[in-house]
Amino acid sequence: MQGFFSVYSPSNFVIVDSYWTETCICGLYGYFVASQLARSAHGVSIVRLQTASCYEEHLAFREEVCHLLQTLLLSLGFGLITASVLAIAAVGITLQFGVTNYLNLAYGDLLTFGVYVAFVANQRFGLSIWLGLLAAILLTSLLAWLINLLVLRPFTDRGTSRVMMLVVTVGVSLILQNVLLALFGEQFQKYAVDTGTPLHLGPFLFTPLQLGILGLAVGTMLAIHLLLRSTRLGKAMRAVSDSPELARISGINTRQIVNVAWLIAGGLAGLSGVVLALNVVTFTPTLGFGFIFVIFAAMVLGGIGSPYGAMLGALVVGIATEVSAIFLPSEYKTAIALVILILVLLLRPQGIFALRRYT
Amino acid sequence: MPPFFFYLLTLATFAVIYGVLVIGLNIHWGYTGILDFMYIAFVAVGGYVTAQLGLPPAQPAFGETYMLGFNWSFFPALLGGGLAAVLLALVVGLLSLHRLRSDYFSIVTVAISLILWTVAGNATPLVNGWDGITGVPQPLADVLNLDPNGYGLFYLGLCSVILILVYLFAQRLYSSPFGRALRSVREDEMVAQGLGKNVFTLRLRAFVIGAFIAGIGGGLLVTYVDAFNPSAWTSPETFFLWAALLLGGSANNRGAMLGALLVPVLFAEATRFLPNFYSPEFVNASRYIVVGILLILVVRFRPQGLIAERKLRVPKSKLLPLVASTASPESTAHLAQPGAVSFLPPEHNSSESKEAHHGE
Amino acid sequence: MASEAPLGAPTEKTQTQGAISNLPPRILEVQRLVKAFGGLRAVDDCSFTVARGSITGLIGPNGAGKSTVANLITGFLRADAGAVLFDGANIARLPIHRIAQCGLTRTFQITRELERMTVTENLLAAPHHQLGESFWLGLLSTPAVRRQEEENLQRALRLLRDFDLYDLRDEYAANLSGGQRRLLELARVVMTQPTLLLLDEPFAGINPVLCARLSESIGALCRDLGITFLIIEHNLAMVERLCNTVIVMALGRVIAEGSMAELRENPAVVDAYLGEG
Repeated sequence: MQGFFSVYSPSNFVIVDSYWTETCICGLYGYFVASQLARSAHGVSIVRLQTASCYEEHLAFREEVCHLLQTLLLSLGFGLITASVLAIAAVGITLQFGVTNYLNLAYGDLLTFGVYVAFVANQRFGLSIWLGLLAAILLTSLLAWLINLLVLRPFTDRGTSRVMMLVVTVGVSLILQNVLLALFGEQFQKYAVDTGTPLHLGPFLFTPLQLGILGLAVGTMLAIHLLLRSTRLGKAMRAVSDSPELARISGINTRQIVNVAWLIAGGLAGLSGVVLALNVVTFTPTLGFGFIFVIFAAMVLGGIGSPYGAMLGALVVGIATEVSAIFLPSEYKTAIALVILILVLLLRPQGIFALRRYT
Repeated sequence: MPPFFFYLLTLATFAVIYGVLVIGLNIHWGYTGILDFMYIAFVAVGGYVTAQLGLPPAQPAFGETYMLGFNWSFFPALLGGGLAAVLLALVVGLLSLHRLRSDYFSIVTVAISLILWTVAGNATPLVNGWDGITGVPQPLADVLNLDPNGYGLFYLGLCSVILILVYLFAQRLYSSPFGRALRSVREDEMVAQGLGKNVFTLRLRAFVIGAFIAGIGGGLLVTYVDAFNPSAWTSPETFFLWAALLLGGSANNRGAMLGALLVPVLFAEATRFLPNFYSPEFVNASRYIVVGILLILVVRFRPQGLIAERKLRVPKSKLLPLVASTASPESTAHLAQPGAVSFLPPEHNSSESKEAHHGE
Repeated sequence: MASEAPLGAPTEKTQTQGAISNLPPRILEVQRLVKAFGGLRAVDDCSFTVARGSITGLIGPNGAGKSTVANLITGFLRADAGAVLFDGANIARLPIHRIAQCGLTRTFQITRELERMTVTENLLAAPHHQLGESFWLGLLSTPAVRRQEEENLQRALRLLRDFDLYDLRDEYAANLSGGQRRLLELARVVMTQPTLLLLDEPFAGINPVLCARLSESIGALCRDLGITFLIIEHNLAMVERLCNTVIVMALGRVIAEGSMAELRENPAVVDAYLGEG
């Protein structure tokens, strides 16, 4: 049993392959394993080459693996950004669902609304994209609050069932989506923004804009965390989310909480919409509607009703969709998220953090 | 034939085909309470399969790739389309009807619909991708040898016959014990289970039956329009049909047909003459805006629809012979004495039937 | 009233019926049922039996686990451990509808109707093994199906008359008053021709006249149709009047069994009720 081991080390990878099994191990641990293997395979030392042609093959294989790893890490990086965008939206919809207890199919279109507010501010009024972002957050927040007040509350006040509320939100979604479609058409638009040159951060490749998105997401998560844990409002929201009846008995004005939840959810929608549009660069009015299911996937994976679960779910879904693009054509990215959604609902509907009793 | 007449013919044919489609959706929602947001996928599957069964084998040289291509005649192809939709419904139903509460189930159905749509568009060898299928053979076109107007009338007649058959089928189903069992599941699943109904199989059956009708309707649609690609069956199309059903009257097949006339046909055509403000999509988008508004208004103000579900009364011929005193439902005081209430069937009061009872 | 024999006392008739049909005298045997929610054991090693042809009461303070036991018996909840023998067969793992088809039906604490169906249809939906409920037979409407429908309709109408709901036969169930709904629910479960009927707090929140009416009906049903009753109830006066055997639960298990008179003397029972209130 003859073989050879070689040790190769660009930027911290140690790739060891043995001629007959073609395995690949990475990192310093791999070096350790390799040296153990070498010692146990009688008399084969770590660096020893058999023939020239073997060496060629070996080099080629190493190249492939290295490349795969690099692509994987790159995708991981992109996945992180997608996850950031997703996390903001997923937390928003979770806060809203937790407090209202019905699923809202129009949430994705709130995202799109934010996108186009920023678009108008940025492209039609020539403002900086960051001002556009601010406008998007404020106006989407306002719109969400209005929709709840004018359209949704008349239904919830008369005790409309969850199922019919879904139908109502479908109606709202159709209206929002198509108003934007009517006004802006279906051609692809983009923001006037300078993404900056990509930076190498270790194995990852980010533009400064993407780093900004990442930072925004982290900041938002922290803000939400502080809101839920430390403020009275946050605690009230958690109470209403856990049990509306108990909350009401404890003196919490559930109506007010619902209103505020919509404000916050709307703001988060506007924010995530703009960063989504920044991330995908070109967009149409159907952007949000396609994305809503990715958001649902993140929400159910993490555990419906748990904002922290939503963050985790967003991380998993974001990375999964990007990594899948290595193996599948990129048109199927959304389909991957949809498959995750279906699988979670069928196999483990309470998600990872089984917070809410699945009834 | 003057163009206006041909225009009416087109309208009527669409109304009839949509009538078939909405009746199928009625079996899902109106009869059984299944919130099915992927209905258009069943229509699409039926349409694609019917078309592909009837078409000759694909010619990639001409830029068209699809499966099947068996050159079947129309009616077997139509049946094949229906059965393909049944197959999809079986898969989806077996996997998910059991475990999901209705709103989560509806989300899953939209997700499935979107996945199918993505695959149909991108996996080109399946159904020719985004370009879709064209040149669908018309039934009995060679045999009849009619001019376009005459053929149009014939096709309208054909679709109308199918609509009548579907309508009669659906009506019979509604008033049968099977239909009654479906409605009990719709009303209260726990009660239905407690009464010994297997809720899962009942729902699955309804799901499959509705899908079959969708497939047939899809076959009729694709054959009529003669071209079919993914842009024709996006998610909003399902909600189009939903609006038709909810507005017309759920759980009432005449209501379903009325909705099929009003929503897709009339107002889609009515908005046709609007100019395109702002953007070329203005008119199309405004139709869906109206659909959205319609959905909200109907749920708010008339959830039973324009033609409400008909009450099934006990026919006069079946009523019990009048008894001397019929106390009003509220005055029950006189019945509080022991022995006043008896649940024995009337035969038990005579001795010979008592023996007969023991002898069984 | 307390001195009269309770309406549900097994009569000669029901006892001989039992002997003729060679069925076990215990229609229901609950054996060591356990059900925990999270860390809390709602039902903790609960065992009791119900005699055929009896009207048995199941009482206990709040939180005793009575509703949970009801749900476990009828299949709405799955037990963690233990067995439920119905006519000798273990039904503990069966789905709800199969348990119902065996002859064990229940009513609910808050009445549940098939709201958008008429009163008659509510009853017609009830019987098991309807031929017409299969898709093909229902569609073809064979003579056998029609005959069965006819029989069921006649039975339903007679039942409606016996329950004084006949004039409401074409009303939507949603339009009935609270008391009428209770009667409808009872009529509906009787339509299924059950051998054991589990009633979940049938006397809760209804006026005394209707209480009397209901208890009269229950007694008559037991006497005339041989239906065994297991009644979960808080209203101890009605339990005393109706039931010949009463089972007391507390903290998830059975603590006593017997007639109301006996139980009143039982210190454990008194303790359980006083201790919680």
